[in-house]
Amino acid sequence: MEEKGYLVTEHIKANRIIYADEAACALTGIAADELLQSDPYKVTEELEVTKIPFDSTHFLWILDTVNNYRQRLTELERSNKALEDALKAAEEANCAKSSFLSNMSHDIRTPMNAIMGMTSIGLAHIDEKLRVQDCLLKIKTASAHLMSLVNDVLDMSRIDSGRMTLNEEEFSIADLIHDIVVIMRPQAMLKNQDLQFDITDIYEENLLGDPLRLRQIIVNIIGNAVKYTQENGNIKVSFSQYKKDGTQNCKADGEKVWLLFICEDNGMGMSREFLQRIFMPFERVKNSTIGKIEGTGLGMSIVKSLVDSMGGNIEVESEEGKGSKFTVRLPVSVTLQSRESLSLPDGGTVLVAENRDDGYYRIEGYLKSGGLSPVRTSGGMDSVTWLTERLYENNMPCAMLLGQSLSDMPVLELAAHVRQLAGPDFPIILVSEEDWTKVEYSASRAGVNAFVPCPLLKSRLLNTVAGLINSAGVQDGGSNETEDYSRYRILLVEDVEINQEIVTEMLSVTGINVDVANNGAEAVQKFEESSEGYYDIIFMDIQMPIMDGYEATRRIRALSRSDAAEVWIVAMTANAFVEDIRMSRNAGMNEHCSKPVDPDKLCEILKNRFEK
Amino acid sequence: MQRYQEEYIENLKKIRALNLRKSAVGKSFDEYCAELLRDRECAEMTIKRNMLILRQHLFPLLDNMFDADQKELEELKKFSSELLNSAIETDIGLFCQIQRSMLSYARLTKERCAMIEELYWLGIGYNSMCAKLIGLEYSVCEKYYSQMRLCFAEAAAYLKYFNELESTETRSYILRSRANMSLGGFKANVEKIRMVKRTLMIFQDPEYRKKAPDLPWDKYVYTIHRQMASSASYKKEIDLTPQDVADFMESVYVIYETRFREAKENNERTPIRPMFSYCVAEYYCGLYGFEELLTKIEQLMDSADFNDRSEDTMYGIISLPAFYCQYLEENPEYLSKRLDYIGVLNKRALSYVKSFSERELSEKLFFYLRQLSFTYIETENSISYKDFIIKLEMSFAPVIYAHSCAVGRAASVLCKIIADEEPDYFDDIGFIRDIVDVEEKKRVIADYAFECGLLHDIGKMNFMSLYTNVGRQWFEDENEMAQLHTLVGMACLEKRRSTSRCAAVALGHHRWYDGSRGYPDDYKRLECEYRQMVDVIGLMDWLDNIVYNDTRIFRGMDKTFEEARESAISLDGKRFSPMLIARLREKEVSDAINGALNSGRNEAYRNIYDMENEVGKEIR
Repeated sequence: MEEKGYLVTEHIKANRIIYADEAACALTGIAADELLQSDPYKVTEELEVTKIPFDSTHFLWILDTVNNYRQRLTELERSNKALEDALKAAEEANCAKSSFLSNMSHDIRTPMNAIMGMTSIGLAHIDEKLRVQDCLLKIKTASAHLMSLVNDVLDMSRIDSGRMTLNEEEFSIADLIHDIVVIMRPQAMLKNQDLQFDITDIYEENLLGDPLRLRQIIVNIIGNAVKYTQENGNIKVSFSQYKKDGTQNCKADGEKVWLLFICEDNGMGMSREFLQRIFMPFERVKNSTIGKIEGTGLGMSIVKSLVDSMGGNIEVESEEGKGSKFTVRLPVSVTLQSRESLSLPDGGTVLVAENRDDGYYRIEGYLKSGGLSPVRTSGGMDSVTWLTERLYENNMPCAMLLGQSLSDMPVLELAAHVRQLAGPDFPIILVSEEDWTKVEYSASRAGVNAFVPCPLLKSRLLNTVAGLINSAGVQDGGSNETEDYSRYRILLVEDVEINQEIVTEMLSVTGINVDVANNGAEAVQKFEESSEGYYDIIFMDIQMPIMDGYEATRRIRALSRSDAAEVWIVAMTANAFVEDIRMSRNAGMNEHCSKPVDPDKLCEILKNRFEK
Repeated sequence: MQRYQEEYIENLKKIRALNLRKSAVGKSFDEYCAELLRDRECAEMTIKRNMLILRQHLFPLLDNMFDADQKELEELKKFSSELLNSAIETDIGLFCQIQRSMLSYARLTKERCAMIEELYWLGIGYNSMCAKLIGLEYSVCEKYYSQMRLCFAEAAAYLKYFNELESTETRSYILRSRANMSLGGFKANVEKIRMVKRTLMIFQDPEYRKKAPDLPWDKYVYTIHRQMASSASYKKEIDLTPQDVADFMESVYVIYETRFREAKENNERTPIRPMFSYCVAEYYCGLYGFEELLTKIEQLMDSADFNDRSEDTMYGIISLPAFYCQYLEENPEYLSKRLDYIGVLNKRALSYVKSFSERELSEKLFFYLRQLSFTYIETENSISYKDFIIKLEMSFAPVIYAHSCAVGRAASVLCKIIADEEPDYFDDIGFIRDIVDVEEKKRVIADYAFECGLLHDIGKMNFMSLYTNVGRQWFEDENEMAQLHTLVGMACLEKRRSTSRCAAVALGHHRWYDGSRGYPDDYKRLECEYRQMVDVIGLMDWLDNIVYNDTRIFRGMDKTFEEARESAISLDGKRFSPMLIARLREKEVSDAINGALNSGRNEAYRNIYDMENEVGKEIR
């Protein structure tokens, strides 16, 4: 852009130039001394001139090229517009913040009022248990709400100030999805909503990213769907992956795949007007019919910020009264280190006990893709019949997968019976939507070896099956192998020689080292003489000459050495009265194993003890 | 059998006799009580002796089964079969325990025929356990039905290898296991009908008959037809196909024909049970409507001969009214004009039962009574449900009744003390809160506490063999099953006007105050309006159970009142309500409770004595 030129003119008798600067000479293309002799109007005919009077006869002429002027004018207009827009946005933001502050003060006050009010009422009626209980429950609800408000505001504040950082850690998409199912399903159940999770085309399960923030995004969106969908409504959530180049498998660490998450509901939906503001902070759906729905109005704004910062995108489609659909695409890096090549017996049979068609077909597809051959039974009795026949023909399947439900009985009842029928090494895998921590005790007791969470992922399923088949060494019709516990040592306290032989024989296949004591006194002596931590488990008979099992246990527990309190002691007896079990616990025993000793039970005890 | 095995069986019979109702005729109350006390002490000693026998002889045998010789195993088998006496249900728990050991042994030794046999018998044992689950939701019982069916299913799976297993006995076990797969409850009756149908097809297959001509095939087929006939549900099922109805109808007809022919040949009256199945089948087929079905059932019930003690008459007088009431519950529009008749049925059933002497009481009679108690309809002119079940308890389970009465009296005493100090302590309970007059409120609270005490253990009636007839301590699975008495009690009490306000107490009296332990999980203290009373009964029940109640011996808990009091105090705020423990700490209060537990038990025996005297007079 050229510089502006300046002329000073005098208009007394004639129009003359009394001063011209270099830029004016350059713009007019006339030398200075010649310019001072020229008519200012003539020499500036092709230029844009702005005249500023000094007095009635003298003016300052500011010279500029025509193009330059227009450009500047346009820029000025644009700048003015931007300023106007910024002002408007600032005013709007200010207005939204004012509205937020107003809302927040209302939202904070409402639970705070409840907390203070209910506390006062409770104190005033401290003797009326029903009133106090009612007050406490309301205080609990209000404080939980207040906590979520504070958390959202803190998150938003971090995002606003640029302090929100994303972690990068390895995580399993399978675990993430299972966690989300466990969190969201109870909420949907409270409203009797049909919340379906669908997993299609997940090629890479081990990813690199920020699982906590990822979970925050997904939980927020599904949480909104639950919140804004009526009772008995439907919510469908799907997860899939794709690569921009259309291929499926990644070859190198750090390669990107796109995670596609869709959440679709048939809830109240949003107006077109609201849809434009959905990601603005402090916005909430205004609808008199959902007066009870509360929130900061920050959730979706946080989601948008997180998605943006992850380099992804989020889209929303919605129609008022019909429902909403959120689509999130996020790029995530793949980690290949933990990928193992699967070793599955080609064509190996797997019994799948599952009554639900959708559940079965998914399992079937995954097993077939792993080269396995699934056989379906829908009920417990069918399963036992089929397994008994296979056992008779010495042609047992590689494993049994227990699905979500059976037509005639609870799945764990079948597991318990199959464990007895098929022996300790037969792999039984539970595929379930349940939270494992809640079913672990009963499932392990029933003889389940492994758990695969739902929604089901192919690699998770096949890895688990492969892991169990390989550790059990089970082949179709072949012989079984057991765990290797050769680094552990057991003290078997048993007075009857034949029983010593049987248990030692049963344990020998595991490679475990077995020492034998012939009575309780000998057991105490052996334990005392051993180095600390020498014995991992003591199997203790109860009725023995010289010293019984209770007394021996009490004496071992009373020893002043660090492992005396910790060594695992298992009562091994046919005394199965409730009082016997109580007495063995009181004496300090950890577990009870009935006689005749069942090898399944023995292996279960070892497994529980050594593999935790 | 070995000597100790014979002694154990003898002792069981002795314990059962000692626990039977005792005639009071010709005895003073003191003499009656002295006899009770003597019998009770004798029963306790016998139970202790039995436990010693098991510890010294049986358990070591199970411990060392691999060391046992063939003779010992044979004797064990015989002993086990003696424990399964279907008429008096000798000791099903121990039977199952032994069968499980024998099954494990057979699996380990890979003796296929023995395994099939043990699977069959274990299934039979489980079936006896399942019979105690009447009245419970299917979801609660499903576990037990499954355990039973899986045993039968595994044994029945060998049907495919019928040719290869040459032993006729083993073949018989396989076939019987197949037939027994349809025992017990099903989610829907149609499932049972279809399973029985499949079994029937197998049993009618000439190929199988040819392979084992020595087996009583006709008897088997008849039994399967009987299973099919007994699958009649009280409501028409929507998913029943015309073929299902035809299959059901065919079986009913076979049974009907056979029984009628037999009755005619023996010059007996028309049997009621097959007639009922026949009527229901006709109703299923749409041959007549619901009103007509009810009329036909009424005719059958009215035809029962009250002087007859046969199973069929018991069915007609006790079980059939249960079905009748269930039909009416499902179709309440037919109920109003039959209320008087139902009142008559209820009275009739009770007086029929009262006319049984102690020696005539059987598991079957008791089974039918439990059926009736679950479908009982209360009418204004008839005996209330509360009185009905208390009378049953007095007649069949005097030990439970005595415990309940003791708990009721002690609860009443404690509640009176609390209400004197804090009249509004129980105001969480709506009907108590509504009482304005303080004296009236105190009286109502004390009466309510007694009523709750009387009814809190009513669910134990389903598990009589565990609470009154068992001659030893419980095993773990029995302990687990006994816990279901809370759910059974709740299910019994909640449906009827006269007992509904005690239902929560039946449900929650074993749950800990802080909710951390106890059972069942379904009881949520903070959500329960009646929780203050549940707390009171929970504490009184616990004290009586470990100090005085005869059943303490089964639980392996036996303390003096003072020891029990100390234990209760140590559970302050955990198992028991701190408000109640604060009172228990007071010497005067704990003395009053102790006294009430004793006087309550005494009162119970006085009531039983009066009832027995009355019955004795009626029988005479």
